[in-house]
Amino acid sequence: MYDTAKLGTDVIQTTTKISARNVQVYYGDTHAIKNVNVDIEAKSVTAFIGPSGCGKSTFLRCINRMNDTIDVCRVEGDINIDGEDIYDKRVDPVQLRAKVGMVFQKPNPFPKSIYDNIAYGPRIHGLAKNKSDLDEIVEKSLRRGAIWNEVKDRLHAPGTGLSGGQQQRLCIARAIATEPEVLLMDEPCSALDPIATAQVEELIDELRDQFSVVIVTHSMQQAARVSQKTAFFHLGNLVEYGDTSQIFTNPTDERTESYITGRIG
Amino acid sequence: MNDQHIVSAFDRDLEGIQAHVMKMGGLVEAAIGEAANAMSTRDEDLAAQVRAADKAIDGLEELINERCANLIALRAPAAVDLRVVLSVMKIAGNLERIGDYAKNMAKRTSVLVHMEQVEGANGSLKRMAHEVQLMLKDVLDAFIQRDADLARDVLERDEGVDQMYNALFREFLTFMMEDPRYITPCMHLHFMAKNTERMGDHVTAIAEQVIYLVTGAMPEDARPKATRLDA
Repeated sequence: MYDTAKLGTDVIQTTTKISARNVQVYYGDTHAIKNVNVDIEAKSVTAFIGPSGCGKSTFLRCINRMNDTIDVCRVEGDINIDGEDIYDKRVDPVQLRAKVGMVFQKPNPFPKSIYDNIAYGPRIHGLAKNKSDLDEIVEKSLRRGAIWNEVKDRLHAPGTGLSGGQQQRLCIARAIATEPEVLLMDEPCSALDPIATAQVEELIDELRDQFSVVIVTHSMQQAARVSQKTAFFHLGNLVEYGDTSQIFTNPTDERTESYITGRIG
Repeated sequence: MNDQHIVSAFDRDLEGIQAHVMKMGGLVEAAIGEAANAMSTRDEDLAAQVRAADKAIDGLEELINERCANLIALRAPAAVDLRVVLSVMKIAGNLERIGDYAKNMAKRTSVLVHMEQVEGANGSLKRMAHEVQLMLKDVLDAFIQRDADLARDVLERDEGVDQMYNALFREFLTFMMEDPRYITPCMHLHFMAKNTERMGDHVTAIAEQVIYLVTGAMPEDARPKATRLDA
């Protein structure tokens, strides 16, 4: 719906938001990510595609240090956001995750009211001075999450009572309530029906005005639809990274070509 | 790259479409040859056959377009598969145009057989049509073998066809200036020569599609244009 208006933004000079250098990830003895180097642009959508077990989700989880929670997982190399090393000892992972929000495969609203689902993050990070401030953040986040109109009359009903697609948009609204700069999405539509998927995709397209969005998806058509850049992972390697239109019309690597044309799983 | 899709019906669809293109190409190749033969041997029956055969060519184009639309809608082809579909649609369009030109040659032949024969013109025109027919055969081979070098070779050879056309143009002009009775047959022959030259251009367009299909990019260097009409 905003296609024509968005055309202009594609030609604006882009800046690097996330920069990864020589990233290696090990799960115990398994070498899951092999020497990945990538620059992810600000205010754009980057899609990670690849067969199951190729390391795309693992790499995504490095960007907000979610892998810290796994004991056997070891991350080497540098990941910088705005030039700052996120694996520096002085970086508090909790603060980092407020800056780098995440949306998961299955909608996972807190077992609380819709209002509290959104208000929780801003509250613990001290982003609201008073009740009216918080009300404002909740409304703004739900509006940006494209779900305000559906829930405004039942803000105090439980979030878990919403439909799957609504829950996922609620989770996206929750993720953006803390004003993150980067939004990581791990298969955000795999549990949704086509209509809810389209709504989330439309939302992703709007979100890139403000955020860098990195999305892991098994649906190549979804990657083609929502992203400006696409990275193809295979067996822990970043095989090819480039403009989405180029990857889907004329990829340079044979493995990419085989994967996107449905010749290897 | 692995040749086969995980979904084997995808392979069958793609192969089916390409088989139709090759069949269409074969019919068009034959149409050029027969149109030229009908012209040089003043064979009205053969000319009528060429005109009738064009229906099958048009039908195949429609069929190919329909199959391509289905494939795009149902299988969302990407990368090389997408390029196959896009190039096949354009190749079918070009083949259809070539078929129309052959049909037009046959139509003019039906008129020409009732007129005075223009000595010497038939041979050159037949050679020109033969060259275009060969180029078409090669470009179809290049398509099915994914041979960009052969396609580039065809691209180069179109210049020769243009030169033949320019020579014929001057020849017809001389005939017409020498004897006004030749004006009507020479005008028909000139249109036939122009049609054949246009066929060459369509073969060239097919060659460009083959290069796009194989490399992912249209050929950059425009073919040298040497059309001199100063007779």
